[in-house]
Amino acid sequence: MESSAVRADLHDPATLASLGHLEVIARWVVDGFLSGLHRSPRKGFSVEFADFRPYQPGDDLRYVDWKIAARSDRWVVKQYEEETNLRATIILDVSASMDWRGAPAAERLTKRTYGEQLAAALALLLLRQRDAVGLIRFDDAVRTSVPPRARTSQWRRLVAALMEPSGGRASDAPTALAQAARLVTRRGMVIFISDLLVDVDATLSALRGLRAAGHDVTVLHVMDPAERSFLLSGEARYADPESELVVPAGADVRAVYDRTVETVIAEWRSALGAMGARYEVVLTDQPYATPLRRVFDARQRQP
Amino acid sequence: MSFLAPFYLLLAGAAAVPLLLHLLRRNVGERVEFPAARYLQRAEREHSKSLRLRNLLLMLLRVLLLLLLALAAARPFVRGVGTGHGATAVAIVLDNSLSTTAVSGGVPAFNRLRDGAHAVLLAATPADRLWLVTADGALRAGSREALLNELARVSPLEGAGDLPLAFRRAGAAVRAAPLPARVVAVATDGQRTAWASARRIPDAVAVLAFDGPPPSNHAVLGVDVQPARWTPRGAVIARIAASDSVGYRIVLGNRTAARGIAARDERPSVRLSPPERGWQSGAVELEPDDFPADDARHFAVWIGAPPAASAAASAGPFVATALATLVADGRASAGSGVTITSADMLTGLPALLLVPADPLRIGAANRALARFNIPWRFGAAVATPTAAHGGGLDGVTVSRRYRLERQGGPAPSDTLASAGADAWAVAGPGYVLLASPIDPAATDLPLRAVFLPWLSQMLGQRLGAPAGDVGAPIVASPGAPLVLPAAVDAIESASGARRSIVSEHIDAPTERGVWFLLRAGRRVGALVVEAPDAESDLTRWRPRELAQRLGGADARGVTSPDALAHAAFTAGARHPFTTPLLVLAFLLLAAEAAVVRANRPVTA
Repeated sequence: MESSAVRADLHDPATLASLGHLEVIARWVVDGFLSGLHRSPRKGFSVEFADFRPYQPGDDLRYVDWKIAARSDRWVVKQYEEETNLRATIILDVSASMDWRGAPAAERLTKRTYGEQLAAALALLLLRQRDAVGLIRFDDAVRTSVPPRARTSQWRRLVAALMEPSGGRASDAPTALAQAARLVTRRGMVIFISDLLVDVDATLSALRGLRAAGHDVTVLHVMDPAERSFLLSGEARYADPESELVVPAGADVRAVYDRTVETVIAEWRSALGAMGARYEVVLTDQPYATPLRRVFDARQRQP
Repeated sequence: MSFLAPFYLLLAGAAAVPLLLHLLRRNVGERVEFPAARYLQRAEREHSKSLRLRNLLLMLLRVLLLLLLALAAARPFVRGVGTGHGATAVAIVLDNSLSTTAVSGGVPAFNRLRDGAHAVLLAATPADRLWLVTADGALRAGSREALLNELARVSPLEGAGDLPLAFRRAGAAVRAAPLPARVVAVATDGQRTAWASARRIPDAVAVLAFDGPPPSNHAVLGVDVQPARWTPRGAVIARIAASDSVGYRIVLGNRTAARGIAARDERPSVRLSPPERGWQSGAVELEPDDFPADDARHFAVWIGAPPAASAAASAGPFVATALATLVADGRASAGSGVTITSADMLTGLPALLLVPADPLRIGAANRALARFNIPWRFGAAVATPTAAHGGGLDGVTVSRRYRLERQGGPAPSDTLASAGADAWAVAGPGYVLLASPIDPAATDLPLRAVFLPWLSQMLGQRLGAPAGDVGAPIVASPGAPLVLPAAVDAIESASGARRSIVSEHIDAPTERGVWFLLRAGRRVGALVVEAPDAESDLTRWRPRELAQRLGGADARGVTSPDALAHAAFTAGARHPFTTPLLVLAFLLLAAEAAVVRANRPVTA
């Protein structure tokens, strides 16, 4: 896909997913996203040389090794171990509730797939920013924990981790958030991607702890459009895949359901806002540009 | 409320579907995985009251909607709602009996009644089912135009008809119609005698009749001709109903035979000895009044010469003396027409036969009877005195007689008088047989006053009639079924119009008057067609009274043709209610949609 033709970050996620592998799609998305950005005023600075890599368009000319260029007529840029002062951790909910999509199935990604694509794109975006990126996947337990690194190989580790299966049903977000607090000892950035069908009080408490530790917290509330607005019709018994909860209902509850979801979102927004965390509702039919922009803006505010 | 297609009411059962869904909604429906079920639970918990109210409202709306649709599909008709009139089965009973020819206010009653029927037909629509039933019970069905044409052809009957029958047929016709509204519209003069035997029907009835008093009427209620055969003398006795004295005229053939004035309740009797011979028609006529149809009544009589008779010596001296007296009085003539003789001396018919005075001649007498195919024989002698009865011979003492024994055979015969349990005087074609000699030693008949009239009657009525004559005239109402004597092949009116007869069972002609019975072109009898005398009684039911008598509470009595048309389509008519129901159903549908729309998700 040529990013110049159609920006992948603005493309329909389901259509995009049908075109390639997670890694490829993440690259398309990030490339598209970056092509739409003005050059960032923030620059990374080196404290410890780490490696050379081929020059890529957009790289700052200040990091081009001119000596090598003069000798071999080959442009390379120098990479440093600590190219940034930001360590970001992406916490991805892979519980059973995330493994769901509403109708029409062919035009919709599951919340989990969407979250994985989004996490991959975010990781790549941050890595391109020379940030260290880590990943925690959780369901009823922490399934994957990748400490934050800024190395080139980190991207592949993250992609491999995103591809791992998960076996649990329930969501134990507080444990995952506590794990994140342990992984990121320095002040950093925590991106929590979840459908927030979790223990609200415990999760808020854990998030509050992260904020107290000085982390910048961004919560991306992933919702299927059918969850955001009750689009199902007919009498049915609606079962929560993570619990024994079964609620008989029909289309008649549509209005009150929507009002309830509005209330829930407002409650999350209020509670997270009160602790200084960012909150964004992300629908699975939404292009990745929106959540990327949200995180990118948060990143830009970091020192 | 009634229904044109009540079968569709079964659709109302569909109303149970939303009801069941409402009641069972918690237990039906497939299991659907929905991670945000906790939001559903919270939504139901927080809005349970409004949800219950809304669901109840929706359920009621849907049940009501289905009920209304089922009702509309059944095509209901209700009273008092809507415009025009619904499809109605209307049977019009048009009284065209003879009494409707009575003139009131210068117009025959029939004209007004026909106007009523006309108005009803004009008010009908193509959706209505229509019948026209006349007083004779003839039922005509068809479209409005067809019945208007039929109505134009209806004329008053010459007789009373059978209005109760016509009314029953009208009721049966409307009841058989698959329409919710059924009305019998009756246009009648309300004659009490005509409706006396009418039974009430369960359908709506509208009656057009007259509210005022009936026109004054005098009538010839009946004419008796005595005797049945005139040889040639006889009497005409008229029964006349009049509120005052009235002039009358007796017509015989084409001439006036007598005139007179009859006082109130008088029965004028006129003796005549006309010169005409054979079967003759006659009439008793009154001065015309507002009901001219009953101002004349017809009769028929056979007139002939006095019978020629001779008495044999074996008949005895009393018979010879009596016959001489009859000849002297002109009631018989001397001749060889009828022989009065003892049976053993019988040489030919017609004959008045007596028992031989000599008991030894009984055998010869029986052989003579057998020779002339007379199916009677003299049996054992009975010497017990017995009183005779029947045949004008009541009280005559019979002290000596022979028991008459009937022999097998087809020959018809009549028993004129009996003595004890046995026949004493019998008659058949061409003979009269007496089981005693006319002798005071055997019976006191020759000593009694009835002897001469009896002998005259036997000679004039029984034995003097022409061969093959059928006897007394037949009296029938116009159009009534009757049985003619055998071998009558035609009937002929007094004016000479003939109709061939192919069966003994016929309906009497619908025209009043005298019809002669013809056998091979010869008059052998007469048929007198006359309306029943009850038709002359013009006493009326008032419209309301007659309506209640015929239709009970669901009946209306009116006095004008237009009112009959109105009553015919409103007394029992119901208006179609489908459209209002559909409108109501549409409104319910809109309300349901509004309630559902109110539940649509609010766009964030």
